[in-house]
Amino acid sequence: MKKEDSGIRKHPVVAHEQWVAARTAFLAKEKEFTRLRDELSQQRRELPWERVEKAYVFDAPNGKATLADLFAGKSQLIVYHFMFGPDDKAGCPSCSFWADNFNGIDTHLKHRDISFLAISRASLPRLEAYKQRMGWSFKWVSSNSNDFNFDFKASFTPEEVANGTADWNYSKQKPGSTEVVGISAFYKDPDGQIFHTYSCFQRGVDMMNGAYNYMDLAPKGRDEGDLRPTMAWLRRHDECED
Amino acid sequence: MKTAVDKHKVVSEAEWLKARKKLLVKEKKFLRLQEELGQERRSLPWVKVTKDYVFEGPNGKQTLADLFEGRTQLVIYQFMFGPNDKLGCPHCSLRADCFNGINVHLKHRDATMICVSRAPYKKLAAYKKRMGWDFTWVSSGNTDFNFDYHFSFTPEQISEGKAFFNYKFQNPGPTEREGHSVFYKDKRGQIFHTYASYSRGNELFNLHYHYLDVVPKGRDEDGRGPFWVKRHDEYDR
Repeated sequence: MKKEDSGIRKHPVVAHEQWVAARTAFLAKEKEFTRLRDELSQQRRELPWERVEKAYVFDAPNGKATLADLFAGKSQLIVYHFMFGPDDKAGCPSCSFWADNFNGIDTHLKHRDISFLAISRASLPRLEAYKQRMGWSFKWVSSNSNDFNFDFKASFTPEEVANGTADWNYSKQKPGSTEVVGISAFYKDPDGQIFHTYSCFQRGVDMMNGAYNYMDLAPKGRDEGDLRPTMAWLRRHDECED
Repeated sequence: MKTAVDKHKVVSEAEWLKARKKLLVKEKKFLRLQEELGQERRSLPWVKVTKDYVFEGPNGKQTLADLFEGRTQLVIYQFMFGPNDKLGCPHCSLRADCFNGINVHLKHRDATMICVSRAPYKKLAAYKKRMGWDFTWVSSGNTDFNFDYHFSFTPEQISEGKAFFNYKFQNPGPTEREGHSVFYKDKRGQIFHTYASYSRGNELFNLHYHYLDVVPKGRDEDGRGPFWVKRHDEYDR
């Protein structure tokens, strides 16, 4: 018997009525959790904004695009900071996993006044080749010729990484690489002023991974306890053996 | 035109950071609560499945055991698509857009994820093709599966408000409702029902909501629920 099955083997099995009783008691906690999430979302939107003063120009599929252009006529912009550095041959497997989750939902977000896209420092041709390989359809632009990634703490210099002085997830830390994952939100007002409203890093992006949320439902959970790193099981979707 | 959202408080970077760090503490606490809840969810007892269910799928007749496809864990999304419906539910279709690409990853965590509906398999296959999805979708139309796991209800249960939905007797609206059920198959081939979620219990899987929850306008539904949702190929019609 494989090691991970040991806890599962002795799981309590009960009659349907008893199950419903246990499940109903747990439902109260789940509802409390849902309401807590609503409160947290409310507090997130109440955070003050900071004005974006710099003019950023990105390499986009249709040529140069300013940060304002990336809103594509919407007032809200969500950026997924996809780890793909200028010298990387392929995008990060973990970000690719997240992309497998969000690919396809930009169509719906568009109808909620949101432009959704991914930004990385790798050159546009590299991003486009990788996107084609993975079969994704979301928009992806390169910030290779500007400071965007550094200013919004999604990229660090090799020195910051080596010295542990990278300002990562709102504290000085030593990230494993110069590129880190994150999600940032921006707002553009009717006068064209742009504001940075929110960013999250590290496990702040956890919620956006539906596959993990599903694993959390299954008896074994994420089942990463013995794995180092915890995501050692992960492959790009076209690199899985079957 | 400026709206209420344009009157938002704008501060310096230093002040922004201060406020953001304060929220981060709460976000971390919430994440730990989510982990505890996940642990508690998996500690719930199980119920042995004693009925034989036979579904119609891409490979013809398939038992519940077959649906595991050799893995020990099965996650079912109950997609609202009743026997008389012409199309699948638009809201379930949005959820399917969220989970369509993740099967390949779940497979490598010993979990098979599929959809089950009461509509005949032919209708499911045609709709799946139109939407460009690739998950497995089987019909439970010839079984009691949806009724036993409280995702389908008789017209009488509905009119009398006696449908057992989300762990209480109520009127769930239509005869088909959405949600998840989870099963485990042990080495002897015994199958156990481990978990089910309904109503807002499914919200964790609405990735679009997680993204909407980080933008200034939020879900922006004005108490009307997801009135704005359309099938992904119907928005611009």
